[in-house]
Amino acid sequence: MAQTTHTSQATRREVGIKVPDTAFERALVILSRYREASIAVVAIVLVIYFQSGNTAFLSSQELSVVLRDTGRFGLIAVAEVMLMITGEIDLSVGSTFSLAPYVMVLMTIGWGVPLAVSAVAGVLLGVLIGVVNGIITVRFRVPSLITTVGTFFLLQGVVVSVYNSQPIVAPVQEPFNEIFGENLYSPTDSIWSWHGLTAFTPFLWTALVVAAMALVLNRTTFGLHTIATGSNIVGAKEIGVRTDRIKVYNFMIAGGFAAAAGVINTTQFASADPLAGGPFLTLQAIAAAVIGGTSLLGGSGTAIGALIGAFVVATLNNGLVMMGAQATVSDIYLGAAIILAMMLNVQVDRMRARRRI
Amino acid sequence: MNQKDIPAVNPNTPVILEMNHISKSFGAVTALVDVSIKLRQGEVLALVGDNGAGKSTLIKILSGFHHPDSGTIVYRGNEVHFGSPREARAQGIETVYQDLALINDLSVYHNMFVGREYHKRILGLKLLDNRKMRDLAQTYLNTLGIEIPSVNSMVDLLSGGQRQSVAVARSIYSSPTILVLDEPLAALGVREGAHVLGLIQNLRRQRSVSIILIVHNYNQVFEVCDRINFLHSGEIVLDASTSETSEEELIRIVKSGLGREAIAAAAAEIETSAEWREDKEI
Repeated sequence: MAQTTHTSQATRREVGIKVPDTAFERALVILSRYREASIAVVAIVLVIYFQSGNTAFLSSQELSVVLRDTGRFGLIAVAEVMLMITGEIDLSVGSTFSLAPYVMVLMTIGWGVPLAVSAVAGVLLGVLIGVVNGIITVRFRVPSLITTVGTFFLLQGVVVSVYNSQPIVAPVQEPFNEIFGENLYSPTDSIWSWHGLTAFTPFLWTALVVAAMALVLNRTTFGLHTIATGSNIVGAKEIGVRTDRIKVYNFMIAGGFAAAAGVINTTQFASADPLAGGPFLTLQAIAAAVIGGTSLLGGSGTAIGALIGAFVVATLNNGLVMMGAQATVSDIYLGAAIILAMMLNVQVDRMRARRRI
Repeated sequence: MNQKDIPAVNPNTPVILEMNHISKSFGAVTALVDVSIKLRQGEVLALVGDNGAGKSTLIKILSGFHHPDSGTIVYRGNEVHFGSPREARAQGIETVYQDLALINDLSVYHNMFVGREYHKRILGLKLLDNRKMRDLAQTYLNTLGIEIPSVNSMVDLLSGGQRQSVAVARSIYSSPTILVLDEPLAALGVREGAHVLGLIQNLRRQRSVSIILIVHNYNQVFEVCDRINFLHSGEIVLDASTSETSEEELIRIVKSGLGREAIAAAAAEIETSAEWREDKEI
């Protein structure tokens, strides 16, 4: 029975996996293996299009605006990616995004707590919201779509009733603000100075988080178990994966990241607005995740894709406005982009299944 | 692969597992009533019975997936309670479920090691040691004579037999004390089924692991098991050693009707009547 398989290697018949031989097939292989690749192509095409229509697009000022938006969407999108891989979703992130910095600012103004400390409290509040979402979903078997629609309205109601839905001016405490989002960049500064760097801090923090999450997803036991949970929840349980815990942890990540994104946003504008997040931000983040190649069915998704997807969403939003379109028109393109991205994802999946590439 | 190849299990071999008086209901559905089974060290026990007889429930209790309403499990001489599949696995009870529990979105080598990953420390971070897992999986599958395109393949690209083989390989990799195989031949072609039976026969020859084999149809596995327990409507109605009975006799018993009394009567008849074989119409 213990014969070696090496000898049969040479005589294997031509069945099973087809080796790609043309350049086109090799390109398809790359597209299907690295889902980020196809969306990266879309992102580059968009940049070329907007740059050719308006040469200011790649200016540092405009790029700063686009990348700040990318950072905001991307931080939430990467958290959604983790959750969507487990087969769940969090729609309450838009409210957490508003609530966490609101609590941060009120703590600092009301109790004189240093901003850095109240920011940590805000992020922990987000994590706590994740625990609640997670436990309601896994213990009480409420689908996460419903759980988080519920917590979305609940938290949105809380944040607008705290202070009569008035924005509060946030205190500025250096160096906390300049590290976490305040933009000190002015046209007289060099892009390579500290002030130049602050133009991109929200994006850089998000890029750092995305790199960390890509590592977590691909190279850690937690990432492996996250994929296993979403891919085959019964099977994962049978081989000893603690699927409930994995889900709750990912809800905590989503809540924490949404809160962190809110804190960075408030630091940037020195204002805590109870309506800063809302349903629109939630859906933009989910759009970024989906455009980036994450399946809503669970089991697969990429962190890098979420960042590129966020960049595409931010580019569409800002690029069209720069070209003189009404802000509302960009939604038409965004909507079309989501549908096209999904159609492309499904096609690439089918191709992969059929051709076994 | 002949029954005579392998000597029968010595009756003095210690009992490794006893499940005593196990009962289990799911709401209004009674799955198991006072079921007791015994497994000796190195023995291959086939658990046979129709759909809904309670076979899968019984082994899911053993593997910690379900918890019995009453009854005890004595494993290696101690009474045990498995709270989760993880605990049972840690104690050396490996189960290959009917659904195989393979993760389609992971590679073969990741599937082999989910739940018992190898790690290495890089800059203080505990990361997966993918190269080690890949090499170990490749070597191990080669040793078992299991052919797959590559250990890097996603398991959803494998054929039914390859998937089954990977699932079996995963469960015997950790040298378990007890291996439970739930319908290992379901959905397999003749050649693939023979390969999986060959794997089981090899394990049996070594007598290092005790195996519980759940099958729908025991004539497929008659030659690889030492004893057959017949489960019907949540009760064990027959416990027969394969060295003392023949396949044909067992088929007669089953065909004679599935009532407990009918089977007990038929079983008694085997022992007492030499003319039983001539009697074609029961």
